[in-house]
Amino acid sequence: MRSRPTNGPTQPNSTRRALITYLPLGVVAGIFGSILTGAFRFLRPVVAAESDNWIDVLPLTELSGASPITASITTENTAGWSVTTEQHRVYVLPGTNNQVLSAVCPHEGCEVSWESQVNKFSCPCHESFFAADGSKISGPARRGLDPLPTRVQDGKLQVQYRSFENNSRERITRT
Amino acid sequence: MSRVDPESNSFESSLVQWTKTTSGLVLMLLAVQFLTGTLLAFYYVPSVDNAHLTVSFIERVLSSGAWLRSLHHYGSQWLSLFAFLHVVRLTWQHGYRDCRGQWIASVLLFALVMAAGGTGYSLPWDTRAFFSTRVAEGLVGGLPIIGKMARLWLLGSNQISTLTLSRFFALHVLVTPFLILLLLAWRLRAVRIRLIPRQFIVAGLVFLALALWALKNPAPLGPSVAEAGPDYLPRPGSQFLWLYETLKYVPGGLGSIVGLVLPAMAILILVSLPWLKLDFLRGRSSDPQRLVGLVILSTCVVLVVVMTSASYISDRRDQRTREQLARQAAQEEVVRHQPFSPVLLNESAINSSSTNSPPPAYIQFCANCHGLHGEGGKQGALKFPPLKGVAQKQRRAIDDIVALLNDPKAYGLEPPMRSFATKLTDDEKRAIAEWVEKLQP
Repeated sequence: MRSRPTNGPTQPNSTRRALITYLPLGVVAGIFGSILTGAFRFLRPVVAAESDNWIDVLPLTELSGASPITASITTENTAGWSVTTEQHRVYVLPGTNNQVLSAVCPHEGCEVSWESQVNKFSCPCHESFFAADGSKISGPARRGLDPLPTRVQDGKLQVQYRSFENNSRERITRT
Repeated sequence: MSRVDPESNSFESSLVQWTKTTSGLVLMLLAVQFLTGTLLAFYYVPSVDNAHLTVSFIERVLSSGAWLRSLHHYGSQWLSLFAFLHVVRLTWQHGYRDCRGQWIASVLLFALVMAAGGTGYSLPWDTRAFFSTRVAEGLVGGLPIIGKMARLWLLGSNQISTLTLSRFFALHVLVTPFLILLLLAWRLRAVRIRLIPRQFIVAGLVFLALALWALKNPAPLGPSVAEAGPDYLPRPGSQFLWLYETLKYVPGGLGSIVGLVLPAMAILILVSLPWLKLDFLRGRSSDPQRLVGLVILSTCVVLVVVMTSASYISDRRDQRTREQLARQAAQEEVVRHQPFSPVLLNESAINSSSTNSPPPAYIQFCANCHGLHGEGGKQGALKFPPLKGVAQKQRRAIDDIVALLNDPKAYGLEPPMRSFATKLTDDEKRAIAEWVEKLQP
């Protein structure tokens, strides 16, 4: 601002200085504040609820034997403007009352594979090993493989797909 | 926040001081464009199959999405207006003489703002955007000498395609903003920045007006090209209405001159105004540069005001046009409030892997009677059995189904089931059989 040394008593210098300091601040805060408030709502992540659909795994007639059986299930994933389908590998354990294990390693989320020669699950990423019932044998994972909710409907084994927090000792469903 | 003219010792009326707030206004509106544009880029996808979808998602689903997009849309129009007024103000106050750097920067900034508006118009890829791209294609293609080549370079191909949209996107979100920032960096480094409350008062008030306007008026989003009927009337944004209206009157081919060559020449003359020796005008004016500047700018004002009003009037006067535009606006309003339905993205993956989608041959030959999902059907007295769960029956393995398609009688099936031995290829029969086999009852 142009300095005006001739300021009279009607316009005290301190008020003027306060105006010069705070008014620009206020305006900038107002403009940025309103847009950033909108921005916060705009960018806030949209959390889709985990689907409660029961998904067919395999007919019961195919479930026999001692070793885990690999199956693939498809889930729908709504994200923004799109729906994508995802394939997930699961293992059915005919020996353990047809329990279904998610193939997702509880360490960092790679998919474990069943190695029938050594009779254990192994994770390709960081060498966690799990026994045929899913319990942890060795490696960086902090818990065994995660079982999924199952039921039998019309002679078919069905699951609800879930994902779980990585690296926790307890099993926590991700939301 | 503001760039300030060199101090003059002469007394400046307070009115003149207030006119200087155009610089703060332009900076404020630029900041709004940068902020809202960055936010829109978090969701927008520049491809012909996703652009309209993602803009529609921003508009209909996201919190504050309609407001932020409207701020960006109308903000660009207000920015064009104030960038122009800024140049007018500088001409009036001898900016080309007293402060060359600011003068050049302001003229170039106005040109870049118009370029950003022109390229941004294509991005939502609604019918309006599509036709504006068409017009840009025509204008560039009609340029003398370089037209053919320039058109190909603009489109990225020999016709408007997703490549064109990508180019407009890159020009809009990378090239023009970068040039604008470069210009600002150059200018703001050169001047001593002082905070002047007057600038902030005006900028704050204009922002408030823009924010409220954007809240009340969502930015238009027409139907996608596929949805629009043949009677759709596209209309450009208000900063380009003058061009739209002018193109109605000038014979084809001259459009490029009016729309591109003349504006480019005007910008060129304005930029070089500080160096022009206009001695032949000395007799008419003591300041010929100011005279030339004001003539150019007032010609622009007259052209824009007359043509914009003409386009409004002609749209109002013709009853069919008026009704069609009202219908389109009403339709947009309806769509805006419809729930958004996401699209299936990896459909091809599903086709090849498992479940739902039937093979094309099934849709063509079987779905009419047996239903799209094998659920069976009825046509009058005729009943068509469901195919779901057929796999559990006797003699219905994949090979059986292929054989059955060749000779239904051999499998005990009666007309209207007929033989498809010659209608389908062996691969198609097998694809159908494999799909039917997987159907869950």
